[in-house]
Amino acid sequence: MNPSEQDLSYSREIRSNAEDVALIRRMCDADETALGALYDRWMRSLYSLVFHLLQDADEAEDVVEETFWQAWRKASSYEPSRGAVSTWLLTIGRRRALDRLRAKSRRREEPLAGTSGVADMPSRDMDPSLAAEGSERRTHVLAALRGLPEEQREVLELGYFQGLSQTEIAETTGQPLGTVKTRMRLAMQKLREPLSMYRESAQ
Amino acid sequence: MNNLTHEEILPELGAVALDSASVEFCLLAREHAAACPECGPVLFAMEETVAHLGQLVPQQAINPGHGAGIRSRLLMRARLERESSSAAAPGPPDLARGVASLTGLGHKLTPGTQRVVDAEIRKSLPRHGARFPRISGMMFLAMAASAAFIITGAQLMRVTAERNSMREQSAQQVVRPDTTRPSVPGPSEKEALVAAMAGPDVKIVPLATGKAARMGRMFWNRASNDWTIVVYTMPPPKPGMTYQVWLVTDKSKISAGTFQPDSAGHAFMQAKYTLERNALKAVAVTEEPMGGMPSPTGPIVVSGSAAP
Repeated sequence: MNPSEQDLSYSREIRSNAEDVALIRRMCDADETALGALYDRWMRSLYSLVFHLLQDADEAEDVVEETFWQAWRKASSYEPSRGAVSTWLLTIGRRRALDRLRAKSRRREEPLAGTSGVADMPSRDMDPSLAAEGSERRTHVLAALRGLPEEQREVLELGYFQGLSQTEIAETTGQPLGTVKTRMRLAMQKLREPLSMYRESAQ
Repeated sequence: MNNLTHEEILPELGAVALDSASVEFCLLAREHAAACPECGPVLFAMEETVAHLGQLVPQQAINPGHGAGIRSRLLMRARLERESSSAAAPGPPDLARGVASLTGLGHKLTPGTQRVVDAEIRKSLPRHGARFPRISGMMFLAMAASAAFIITGAQLMRVTAERNSMREQSAQQVVRPDTTRPSVPGPSEKEALVAAMAGPDVKIVPLATGKAARMGRMFWNRASNDWTIVVYTMPPPKPGMTYQVWLVTDKSKISAGTFQPDSAGHAFMQAKYTLERNALKAVAVTEEPMGGMPSPTGPIVVSGSAAP
């Protein structure tokens, strides 16, 4: 992505999050149509994430519903300074999905499906402008992830995409827990820098 | 702020943001970060970095009917909550008329509710420009049904609950349906409805057939002991038979009442029964002789596990 393309991407991100923030404000005023609009914008991304973790359509649907209901009930607790609305929603949804996973002590046995080939896959039923923004962001995030050393990327992917704890990652990879912690810390530090522009744009 | 120090927390913030540290440590670290001007911004930035990874999962399409149903339920719950919270103050004229029934028992939708349902149905329809895939007539009906099911049957609930209260006295363990509701649902009933179906103490048990088709939910408000079951697209029971709801525990199967779905297969019923928070193992609906049975004898039509 060249600098001008990045500028364009940032401006779209700002616009997109500003629209999300406006919806959150309307939700604070008990405007349920704003909840519907927010659902339309982010349901697909949220469902994709929780389905990826849970591998169960019914459970993923439950988590989606719980997440948006929590967003409605807790709209006033959203703080723009802490990140974009999409971040807030995805974080709520992922935690709920992880709670379910860990409550069942269930773990997916198959290897991570991988992150290759997904960057160019816009949502089929998403607003075209949102899909374009999402595609750009995916491309950028994927590039940042691929820029990590393989061993660091591995612990990050196991932690995020499979919901494994550091202890479980150590067991899975056969690495000492301390090594896993170090790799995870370094991975997060390295990933944070190239993605910091999205944080700036969210405020 | 707790006793954790910056030195202990800062190196772990990445794992906390990923929820890969222990649950206890994550709680402590977040508590610390919420009040710490040094750790807080780092954690928030890490959490946002982590959230970006969510963009990378393969895009997964939700079942369109289920997606529309979730949307409808959310909006209806939000609307009910808003209306109940504003019930103390003079509201729009239609609010006092309560939740309407689509069962043909005498009430029509209130204008406000009708607008929400209409909007939901319009939302479910394909638009010009093909943002959404084409939806078949059956799919449209399913979506409309989803939009409507949550608000249907207040009247049916009242009638069924009164009938159940008489018929189920013969059962050994009987959940007492809530028959105290006014004949015309008002703001207080809406408020009660919202409270019964929403809140941190509400456990939701999805109900499905053996073929995994979603056919309803049981909402158990463990604080108020309210049980609210909503089912949809149920086939009519055989002549002389009815559907009976069972709360399954390790020790017993407790009757929670009987119901008859309307012509569209929808039903909505509430009951009040005290059960220990962890006692419920499953909810099941069986087909039983009219009037209900003390214990289940017929085939399970829909059921759901209460496992977390």
